[in-house]
Amino acid sequence: MTSESVEQTSGEQPDAPEKPENSLLTDPDVQMRLARLDGQLQVILPKVKKRSAQDDWLEMWQQLTHRLNSGERFWKPGELIHVLAQDQLLDSRQLQEIAEALKSADLNIERVYASRRQTAVTAAAAGYSVEQQSPNIAPIFPTVNEDENCESPLYLKSTQRSGIEVRHPGTVIVLGDVNPGSKIVAAKDVLVFGRLRGIAHAGANGDRVCIIAALQMEATQLRIADTLARVPEHPSGQYEPEIAHIAPQGIQIAQANYFFKFHCFDAEANAWVTTNPKSLTNY
Amino acid sequence: MSRIIVITSGKGGVGKSTVTANLGTAIAQRGHQVALVDADFGLRNLDLLLGLENRVVYTAIEAIAGECRLEQALVKDKRQPGLVLLPAAQNRSKETVNPAQMRQLVSQLSQNYEYILIDCPAGIEMGFRNAIAPAQEAIVVTTPEVAAVRDADRAVGLLEANNIRIVNLVINRIKPEMVQMNDMMSVEDVLEILAVPLLGIIPDDERVIVASNRGEPLVLDEKLSLPAIAFNNIARRLEGDKVPFLDLMAAHNNLLNRIRRFFRS
Ligand SMILES: Nc1ncnc2c1ncn2[C@@H]1O[C@H](COP(=O)(O)OP(=O)(O)OP(=O)(O)O)[C@@H](O)[C@H]1O
Ligand SMILES: [Mg+2]
Repeated sequence: MTSESVEQTSGEQPDAPEKPENSLLTDPDVQMRLARLDGQLQVILPKVKKRSAQDDWLEMWQQLTHRLNSGERFWKPGELIHVLAQDQLLDSRQLQEIAEALKSADLNIERVYASRRQTAVTAAAAGYSVEQQSPNIAPIFPTVNEDENCESPLYLKSTQRSGIEVRHPGTVIVLGDVNPGSKIVAAKDVLVFGRLRGIAHAGANGDRVCIIAALQMEATQLRIADTLARVPEHPSGQYEPEIAHIAPQGIQIAQANYFFKFHCFDAEANAWVTTNPKSLTNY
Repeated sequence: MSRIIVITSGKGGVGKSTVTANLGTAIAQRGHQVALVDADFGLRNLDLLLGLENRVVYTAIEAIAGECRLEQALVKDKRQPGLVLLPAAQNRSKETVNPAQMRQLVSQLSQNYEYILIDCPAGIEMGFRNAIAPAQEAIVVTTPEVAAVRDADRAVGLLEANNIRIVNLVINRIKPEMVQMNDMMSVEDVLEILAVPLLGIIPDDERVIVASNRGEPLVLDEKLSLPAIAFNNIARRLEGDKVPFLDLMAAHNNLLNRIRRFFRS
């Protein structure tokens, strides 16, 4: 079982990710999240970034519709949802667009939490029950599950197109292609039932056991934990399901069919190692 | 029920306005009432492509502001009785219009026109949002270049996010000789990434530029050129006709063979 070599780049390389992704993953403020916390369905908007409000809104809006349309529907039809607007400044049109997007996924807004007075006023005027929060105190809702193992996998049942960036504190499963220009960042594994041509980062919180699997591994760059590798173009143009993993010498790509039969994670080496195929012939 | 179609791309300069002008003319030629909406506020040029510059009196901005009636702002095409253009203002920025106003404007137009084609500006900012707001379907134009396809993919994602589910693709400026040399993405390469239905392929052809400069859409030429046939085919496919795609590679080979034969004889 030979693994294909990929060019390794250490963390010192100038093009390596500047800061560890993990702060971005566990920080609920960087991306729109749809979650059930203590039984209550919530959509949590990201905190305001430094860019223009227009860009922020466009990105947030696309993330929301993307999650509603291509994610798994883990809610009951007609369920009530809370909107946690954080420090976003929403005008009535934007609030209405959020309501319409939720409505098309069979969700109704029950309550809006906002730290900006203006947003709270807008939401109240639109007829929602509103809770204004001080931006300085920590949010009253539990933001992220501390125990990552509880985080269920995120299913995305569509093509991930250029410009889409998905971050999830668990495993991400894509039923479709991951196109060039898109990015999947997961705290656990990334499994792609299609062609992987965008950027995938597995084990983004530093977990070296995590793998990236794809039916067609055509990524130009792979990231697992804090390792980064450039993948040479497939010479043959022929593809088979493959698994990228951390081996002692860095990220390697192996045929998927026999991967788990001939590899195991060695805690000492802190990497996947090949088990002797001969010892396996007995069973 | 009229069809409201936005012509968009993400990347600039790939041929949105060219497609809008020629497709609009071709559909009108087939006997339909067509309104073209130039949504590229601040950079109008659809009037130039149609040779209507000197007929523009009012623009969409005045119509929205109520400074004129919508009918007054519509410019009748000089050749096609069924075709009108709603010009964009050249001197105002994109921020002067909002999506609700665009929806309102187009819904007014849809009472009198069967096809409304909206020429979208490049980019994915406010101008894009305005242009796609009234649309029920979209034609995404791309050239077979990596950067253009990447942006087209982004645009498709945003169209989907905005609930525009009917998205078709036009690949413009194909150069068969470059595809053959493996120097250019092929139609298949582009389709593999974008995965949306193909509506048409248009060859790269100098006559497109000449026609644009003259302000005479090339679908009106008496002797139809290859790109003109391509535009006509797109119009027919839009109406549901099954028209086989032009085999540009074969056309290219024929030309090569003809040249070879010429030199042999
Ligand atoms: N098939 C073609 N063959 C040759 N030239 C073409 C073709 N299609 C478009 N062009 C030329 O490319 C240039 C850009 O075209 P056009 O203005 O239609 O693009 P656009 O997408 O509307 O640009 P913008 O983003 O600036 O609005 C023009 O000069 C046009 O004549
Ligand atoms: Mg244009």
